[in-house]
Amino acid sequence: MAASQASVRAAMSHLPSEAARVPSVLLVLVRFVRTRHWVMWLGVVIIGTIVIALVAAPWVSPYDPAAQNLLQRLQPPSAAHWFGTDHLGRDAFSRMLFGGRFSVTVAFATVMLSVSIGVLAGILSARQGGLLDEIIMRIVDFLLSFPEIIVAMFLVAVLGPGYATAVVAITMCGWAPFARLARGLTLEINARDYVRAAEILGCTRRFIIFRHIIPNAIRPIAAMGFLRFGHMLITVGGLSFLGLGVQPPNADWASMLAQSMDYVERAPLLVVMPGLALFVTALSVTWIGQGLELRGKSE
Amino acid sequence: MTIFIVSVLAFLVPYITEGDPVRAIIRSRVAELAIDQETVDRLRISLGLDRPLVVQYMGWLKNAVEGDFGYSYMSRQPVAGLIGRAFLISLTLASSALIFAFLVSIPLGTIAALREGKLADNIVIFVTQCFVAAPEYWLAPVGILIFALYLGWLPSAGWRDMSSMILPSLVLSLRPMAYFTRVMRAAMIDVLRAPYLVAARSRGLSVVQAIARHGLRNSISPVITVFAMWMASLLGGSLIVEVIFSIPGTGRLMYDAVVGRDIPLMQGSFVCLVGLAVIITTVTDVVYVLLNPTVRLAHGR
Repeated sequence: MAASQASVRAAMSHLPSEAARVPSVLLVLVRFVRTRHWVMWLGVVIIGTIVIALVAAPWVSPYDPAAQNLLQRLQPPSAAHWFGTDHLGRDAFSRMLFGGRFSVTVAFATVMLSVSIGVLAGILSARQGGLLDEIIMRIVDFLLSFPEIIVAMFLVAVLGPGYATAVVAITMCGWAPFARLARGLTLEINARDYVRAAEILGCTRRFIIFRHIIPNAIRPIAAMGFLRFGHMLITVGGLSFLGLGVQPPNADWASMLAQSMDYVERAPLLVVMPGLALFVTALSVTWIGQGLELRGKSE
Repeated sequence: MTIFIVSVLAFLVPYITEGDPVRAIIRSRVAELAIDQETVDRLRISLGLDRPLVVQYMGWLKNAVEGDFGYSYMSRQPVAGLIGRAFLISLTLASSALIFAFLVSIPLGTIAALREGKLADNIVIFVTQCFVAAPEYWLAPVGILIFALYLGWLPSAGWRDMSSMILPSLVLSLRPMAYFTRVMRAAMIDVLRAPYLVAARSRGLSVVQAIARHGLRNSISPVITVFAMWMASLLGGSLIVEVIFSIPGTGRLMYDAVVGRDIPLMQGSFVCLVGLAVIITTVTDVVYVLLNPTVRLAHGR
């Protein structure tokens, strides 16, 4: 630590000391941008645009997403209705903007919940060992070998369809891969000298977990979180598609797609656009994950 | 052990669901208004739903072991027969999709590995990312739109002949194809760096010969593992494709059971699917050992 500080000071010594302070923030920022893979930035830009559009939906959207106009059903795209209108004459573009809020937030909540539970279970499993480890890993193996949409469907049957149920149902299987990754990382970090040193110094288990294990395991876990986001987005959408997720009058992208299936020949755009939105969102977040992973390897 | 726990779960799950199953059955057959309480009670007794849960479970388990899962509330047919029929259909669908995915991904993964970090590799990676990011419930209607409605080459739904299998299999195959390709690529990259391949090359074999004789066999075994995992998950997990193309497979059967609150059907299909997942995983381990003499020898000694 001291050595690296000294080297930094030595490296900066040729700069004027007052001037170095101001651009250093900028320099750090530039270095942060440049050391990440460009694929990641492409993903960030796309997903950023989508998120901004979704957040701004109430101000940006040209129509009320629920306003029906039965005289203007299944209109083709026009200047007034960018993506046309659906089978109840609602503006498809406005509905897309509001629908995306459900899709993305549900997927985001699912990933966060899965990461939290998975990481906790994985670290516990690795540090505790023994019977607990055996039990947790058995459950993980089972969950990984079983179709998650079926488990989710059964849970929805128990809890009743809805927004929150979808999150719980997908998390039920979703935490398993994170638990396995976190367990592997913890076992590896546990063997390092500084964890040994901390143990010998008498640090508490909680201190070691939060101070040493989580900070060191966080990047691969974050990369996997980004990589799994698309999968979660699509699986949650699958529930909605089957009518077991977000309930009417609310709609997410997948349920919009499902409603428009019957009119696919007359108004193909109503099916194509929500699917495309899911596809682009999933892909851009995957790129962020890939960018993180690429950097992790080159170090 | 796993199967036992799951059987308890599978048995209980439908009972936790809201709604009286007896009333659900009646609703599915006749209008609810016309039914008095006496009829409801009579039906409850005739189905054995008035007994304590433990007694019901023991009776159900005894029959289930013998292959009898009772009768479906909705169609009044034996559950085992329904599952068997649906299972064959799902098996056909899943295997055609997976075999197609396998055949495409082996050369694709090999090419990516040979050109690691180059343009061809990046294109393959990009394509696999697209396949993973594309929802089935988007690809399926778009596929129907193009191939069935515009071009008229393939039927849009149903399960009758070969031509009706093509589109659902194709839609179903893209995601496993992406995963197979990634696994194949990673395995092949490892193999290409292995000493025995360098030795083969230095003996004068061309790259193609070396890969054909030594590379493929060693890099395919991880793909086989992933193949089996996908097999297990597609046998029930092709649900969305089955619903869209109205294919009467296991996923569709479970969906109908859940939506219609058909308890014997839910229990039976859930247990069968889990049992199957366990069996497939076990078989995979055996096959893996057979393909990999090093593992076999290590365990034999």
